[in-house]
Amino acid sequence: MASIKLYTAIFGVLMVLSTMQAALEFTGLLEEFYVPIMGVMLLLSTIKAVSVAGWYMHVFDEPRAISYLAIAAVIGVLALIAGAAYSIT
Amino acid sequence: MGENGHLPPKSNIKRWLVTTNHKDIGVLYLITSMFFLVMAGILALLIRAQMWAPGATVLDPGGYYQVATSHGFLMVFWFLSPFAFGFANYVVPLQIGADDLAFPRLNAMSYWLYLFSGVLFGISFFQGATFMGGWTMYAPLNAPAFIPNYGHVGSFAAILALVMFTGSVTIGSVNFLTTIYRMRAEGLRMRDIPLFSMSILLTVWMMLFAFAALLGALVILSSDHLLHTSYFADVDGNPSSGGSLLWTHLFWFFGHPEVYIVFFPALGAMAEIVQTFSGRRLVGRKWFVIAMALVAIQSFIVWMHHMFLTTINLPIKTIMMVTTIGISLPFDLMVFALIYTMIKGRVRWKTPFLFVLGALLIFIVGGITGVFLGAIVLDYSFRGTYWVVAHFHYVMASGAVALIGALYYWYPKITGKMYNEFLGKIHFVVAFVGFNLLYFPMFVVWETPRRMFEYSAGFTFWHRVASVGAVLFAASFVIMIYNLFMSLYSDRVVDDSPWAYTGSTEWAVPSPPPTENFPGTPSFTSGSLRFLEGPEATDGGVEGEEATPDGGQVTAAADHGEPHPDHASWWPVFAGSSALLAGIGLSGLSPSMFVWPFLFALPAFVYFVGAVGARRDGFTVLHGAFLSASFLLLAVFIALFHVTQGIITGLESAPTYFWLALAGAVLGVYTLVRLGFESFYVPEPTSSAQWPFGEVENTKLGMWTFLGSDIILFGAFIGSYVFTRFEFGWQDWWHVAHEVGGLEHHPVWPGLLNTYILLASSFTVVLALVFARRGVGTTEIGPLSVENRKLTLGFIGTTFLGACLFLLNKGIEWVDLYFHQGWTFNADIMSSTFYLTTGLHAAHVVIGMMLMLFLMVRSYTGAYQGEDEARTIEYFGLYWHFVDIVWLFLFPLFYIL
Amino acid sequence: MMTPGSALLRHAAFAQVSRTPADVFDNLYLVFLVLGTLVGVVVISYTVYNAYKYRASDPDAEGRYDVEETPPEEDGDGVARPQVGEIPTGSGKGGGKKLFVSFTISAVIVLGLIVYAYSLFLYVEDTNQLYDGEDTEDPLEIQVVAEQFRFTYVYPDGTTTEELRIPKDRPILVNVTSQDVMHNFGIRELRVKADAIPNQYNEAWFQAEETGTYEAICYELCGVGHSSMRGEEVIVMEPEEFNDWYDSSEAEKAEVSG
Ligand code: HEM
Ligand SMILES: [Cu+2]
Ligand SMILES: [Cu+2]
Repeated sequence: MASIKLYTAIFGVLMVLSTMQAALEFTGLLEEFYVPIMGVMLLLSTIKAVSVAGWYMHVFDEPRAISYLAIAAVIGVLALIAGAAYSIT
Repeated sequence: MGENGHLPPKSNIKRWLVTTNHKDIGVLYLITSMFFLVMAGILALLIRAQMWAPGATVLDPGGYYQVATSHGFLMVFWFLSPFAFGFANYVVPLQIGADDLAFPRLNAMSYWLYLFSGVLFGISFFQGATFMGGWTMYAPLNAPAFIPNYGHVGSFAAILALVMFTGSVTIGSVNFLTTIYRMRAEGLRMRDIPLFSMSILLTVWMMLFAFAALLGALVILSSDHLLHTSYFADVDGNPSSGGSLLWTHLFWFFGHPEVYIVFFPALGAMAEIVQTFSGRRLVGRKWFVIAMALVAIQSFIVWMHHMFLTTINLPIKTIMMVTTIGISLPFDLMVFALIYTMIKGRVRWKTPFLFVLGALLIFIVGGITGVFLGAIVLDYSFRGTYWVVAHFHYVMASGAVALIGALYYWYPKITGKMYNEFLGKIHFVVAFVGFNLLYFPMFVVWETPRRMFEYSAGFTFWHRVASVGAVLFAASFVIMIYNLFMSLYSDRVVDDSPWAYTGSTEWAVPSPPPTENFPGTPSFTSGSLRFLEGPEATDGGVEGEEATPDGGQVTAAADHGEPHPDHASWWPVFAGSSALLAGIGLSGLSPSMFVWPFLFALPAFVYFVGAVGARRDGFTVLHGAFLSASFLLLAVFIALFHVTQGIITGLESAPTYFWLALAGAVLGVYTLVRLGFESFYVPEPTSSAQWPFGEVENTKLGMWTFLGSDIILFGAFIGSYVFTRFEFGWQDWWHVAHEVGGLEHHPVWPGLLNTYILLASSFTVVLALVFARRGVGTTEIGPLSVENRKLTLGFIGTTFLGACLFLLNKGIEWVDLYFHQGWTFNADIMSSTFYLTTGLHAAHVVIGMMLMLFLMVRSYTGAYQGEDEARTIEYFGLYWHFVDIVWLFLFPLFYIL
Repeated sequence: MMTPGSALLRHAAFAQVSRTPADVFDNLYLVFLVLGTLVGVVVISYTVYNAYKYRASDPDAEGRYDVEETPPEEDGDGVARPQVGEIPTGSGKGGGKKLFVSFTISAVIVLGLIVYAYSLFLYVEDTNQLYDGEDTEDPLEIQVVAEQFRFTYVYPDGTTTEELRIPKDRPILVNVTSQDVMHNFGIRELRVKADAIPNQYNEAWFQAEETGTYEAICYELCGVGHSSMRGEEVIVMEPEEFNDWYDSSEAEKAEVSG
C-alpha cells in the first residue's frame, strides 16, 4: 500500500505529462514534425497509462498473472489494429 | 430469496426461475439449447426444401434469406456454444472440485440473458422481417439504407439480440475463468485439470476477447441504425470508403476464433470420451494441451483468410496463409493423439463412443478440406461456393456430433438414469448416414454458389441427395429426444459411474450429485482424490461483510452459526427479462425518441438506491437526499423532454415501443439495485489450488478479466478509427473536417480539461480507498479530526462530482460541435468515429457514476471501513481507473493528432 | 504487387509457360484432391481399424452398463488404465513416438503442398507479367461495376455494356468495384473471382481459351435479389470478331448485343 504522498506525486506527474501533450500541439511542433511528435505523444500516453495501472490499480503489487492478462488483451488489440491497417493496399 | 437462499424442490417451477446452482443452470442451458437446435433445424429443412430444385420454389427470396441467415445465427450462437456450456456448467465445477461457479448469480444471469436474447431473436421474425444479410452480416448491406423498409425493425431487433447474447457470453467467460483459476481442489495444478475443463478454459479465454470484438462491431452497427452515423453507409445509401473492409476485419477477428470457440468444448469432450471408452489415458496429453493452447492463441491472427478475395495486399495474404496452415498442424497432432489412444485399449462401442468416433472421422474430412481453402489459389475459386459450406459443416457439425456423444456420456450423471443403448446406436447410425448424405454431395457439386437458390440444372440430383440426407439427419434427433425422455422414467438407475475406466471427479459422486456436490472438501494433495471431513472444516468462515461478485453485500450470519451458501435469487431472471423488454423497445424507436426511456430510468435508479438502501441500512439524511434528488432529476428530464419533443405530443405519439423500453429500463435499474443490496452468501475459496492468482480474490479477478474484455471492446473502436483514418489518409483527416464538415479547429481545450478532470477523479478514488482501509476511527487533518467514514464518502463524492464535470464539459463541447458548428454524426467520415468512440467512453463514465451512487449510500453507513470491507471500493477503483486510462489514449488520438 | 521473390520464381519456372488461372487451378486442385483423398482414406481407415481391433468383446458386467474393470495387475498388456479420482495424466510412454512421427509426416505433406501452392499463387497474383511478354498483346483492361443486382462493364474506350464481350487467348484484367453493397464478380469456368467492394478497386485477371458463352455470377450475398444476380452473359469471341465489335460505333454495338 503506497502512501498518500506517493499517490499525490504520481497525480502531479500525470497532470504535467498531459499538459505537455497539449503543449506539443500548441507550440506547433506537431505540424512540423508530425510522425516523431506523434510517437512522443503516444509514448506519453503509454507512460501515463502504465502509471495509473501500476500504482493506482496496484498492478505492481499484484501477481504477475494480472499484468499478463491485461497485456494479452492489449496485444490482441494491437494485432487487430496492425493487421487491419497493414492490409490496406 | 437471498435471506434464506434455499432452493425449492425440482418439481416446483419456481426453483427453475430462482436457482443459481451450477447443475440446475447446466440443465437449463442444455434444454434451452436443444430447443434452439430444433428451431434452427427446421429452418435448415426449409433451406433444403428450397434447394430441392433451382429457383424460388418454396420461399420467396426475402423469406429465404431470413431463413438462411437465422439458421446460421441460431446454430452458431444459440445452439452450439450454449449446448457446450450446458455441459461446462454441469461438469466443470465437478471436475475441478468446486462447489459451484465463482459467481452463481452472475451465472444465472448469463443463462437468462441467453434465453431472452434468443426470445428477442425469435420475436424479430414477427417485426416485419428479421435480418437477412447472412450470419456474417457484411457491410454495408447490414446498414439501414440497404435493408428494405419492412425489415428495419426486425433486423435491428436481431442485432440487439446478438448484443444481449454477447453480454451473456462475456459474463459467462468471466465466471468460468475465475472459477477455474481460483477454485480447484487442493493439489490439482492447472495443467492437471481434466481435458474437458481444459478445453472450456481455453474456450472462455477466446470468448472473452473475441466476443468483445463482436460487441464492438455490433455497437458500431447499432449506431449506424440508431444514431445514423455513417461507419458503413449513411442513411441515403452512400457507402463509406472503408466501411465494407472495416466490417470484414472486425467480424472475422471475432469470427475465426468463434469457429474454434464452438469446436473446442467438443474437442475436450472427445478426449474425455475416447479415454473412458478406450480405457486408456490420452496419448501425448501434454502435447495435446499445448496444441490446444497454441490454436487458441493463433486463432486471433488468421482472420484474413476469410478475406482473400478482398483488396488486402499480397504480403498480408502471405502472412495469413502461413498462419492458417500453421494452425492446421496442431489439429493434426490432436487428431493423431485421439487415434493412438485407442491402440491397446479396451474399446467399447457404446453410443457416446460411436458419436465421438463418427465426429472424429467427419472432422478429418473437414480439416483436410480446410487445408484446400488455406491454399489461396484454390480459395479464390472456392470462396462463395458450397465447398465452403461443406467444409464448415464438416468441422462445425462434427463438433455438434461430438457433443451429442457428450450428451449420452453425461446423461446418466445428470439424470441418474441410463438411456436406452439400442436406440442410442440406431440414432448414431441414422445420424451418421444422414450427415454424410447431407454434406458430402456439397463437395461434389461445390460449384454451386453459396446463398443462392438458383443453381445449374445439372446439380439437381446431388442437391436432392443432400435434402434427403437432411431429413434423415433431422429424423435421427427425434429418436434421441424420444430415447432421452423415456429413459427418465425407466428403472435403469445408475450409481456413481455407469462407465468403466472413468477418471475425473464427476464420476466419484452420486448421479445426480447432491446440491453441495461433494461429501467433504475434495483434495488431491495425497496424489488422488480424497474428501476431507466436513466441507467447512478448513474454512475459517468468512467474517463480517464480504463483497459478493456483483458488488452486493453479504452478511455471513456469524451469529446463526455456520453460514450456508445461498442458491436462489429472483434478480437474475428479472435482469434477463428487463433486458428483453428494453431490447424490444429499442428495436422500434426512432433516433429522436430512443434515449428518453433510458434517461427516465436514471432518476428511477437514484430513487431505488435511496429507497432500497434505507430499507436495508436504516433511513439517513443521505437516503433522504437521494430520494429528493431523484424527483429533481426527473423534473429536469421531463422539462428537457418537453423542450425537445413537447410533452403532450411526445407522449401521445409515443409508440408501444417507447413504453416497453421504459418498462425494461426501469425494471432493469430496479433489478440492479436489488442485486446490489441482496444478501447472497458465497464462500470465498480458502483451501483450493489457485495458481497463478493466489492472492487475488475472486471478485478482483472477475473484475480484471472483465476489464480484459473491455480493453478489446475499446480496441475495436480505436482500431476502427485507426483503420478508417489510414484508409482515408492519416494526415488528411483534419482537412476533411474543416472543409467538408465545417469544423473550425482542433478542440484541444475541452479534451485537455477533461483529461485533468478524469486524472483528478482517479486520484480521489485512490484516496477514498486509503481512508476506507483505515477502518472505523478518525484521521487528523490539520486541526480537524474527521471520521474516516466521512472521508471515504467525501472522496467518492468528489469523484462523482468530477464525473459530473466531465460530462458537463463534454456536453458543452458536443452542443457546440453538433449544433453550432453543424458537425453532425454523419457530417463527414471523421465525425462518426469521434462521437461514437468518445460516446462509448462517456457511457462508461455514466455507468461508473451509477456505481458511485450506490457506493455513496453504502459508505455513509460505514460499510466499507476496514481492510476487507474496503475491497468493494478497490474493485470500483479498478473500473474507474481503467476508464481513465482509455481516455488517456482518446485524448491525443481524437483531440490532437 | 510484386516482390523480388515472386519475380525470381516466375523467371525460374513459370514465365515461359503460358498458363491461365484456370489451368493453374485445375492442376493444383487435382494435386490437392489426390493427396487429400489419399491422406483422408489412410487416416480414416486406420482410425476405424484401431477402434475395431481393440474393441472389448466381453459383455456388460452383471447389473451394470459397461464391462467389468480389470484390476491393473491382471491387465495383460501392461497398460495403466484410468481410475476414478486420479490426477489426470497422459498415458506416460507408449504412443508418444508414433504421435510425433505421424505428426511430422502430415506436417511435411501439408507444408510441401503449401509451398507449391504458394509459388502458383504468386504467379496468379502477378499482373505485371501480363505486360511484359514480347510477342503477346497487352491485357484488355475492363472495369466491372457491380450494383444491385447486375454488372456493368466499362471498356478502355469508354464503351459501357451489360454483357461482357472478350477476345479469346488474350489476358483480361478486370478492375472490380461496386456502387452500393458488397458483391463478388466471378465467372465459374474461367476461374476468375473478385470481391466488388464500394470505393475499392479490386484487380484480377483471366484468359479464355475457347469461344463460347459463359455466365457471370455474383458470389457474395448482396440483398434480396442476390439469387438472380447470375446468368449475365459473358461472350468469348475470336479476336478478329472481337475487334470488329470493339471498333464499331456505340449504336452498332448496341445492335449486335441486341
Ligand atoms: C483444419 C484447419 C482449417 C483450415 C485450414 C481452415 C480454413 C478455412 C478457410 C481458409 C476458410 C475461408 C473459406 C472462404 O470463405 O473462402 C474457412 C471457412 C470456414 N471455416 Fe475453416 N478451416 C479449418 C478448420 C476449421 C474448424 C475446426 C472450424 C470450426 C469448427 C472451421 C470453421 C469454418 C467456418 C464456419 C468457415 C466459413 C465461414 C463463413 O464464410 O461463413 N474451420 N476455413
Ligand atoms: Cu477462419
Ligand atoms: Cu450478389
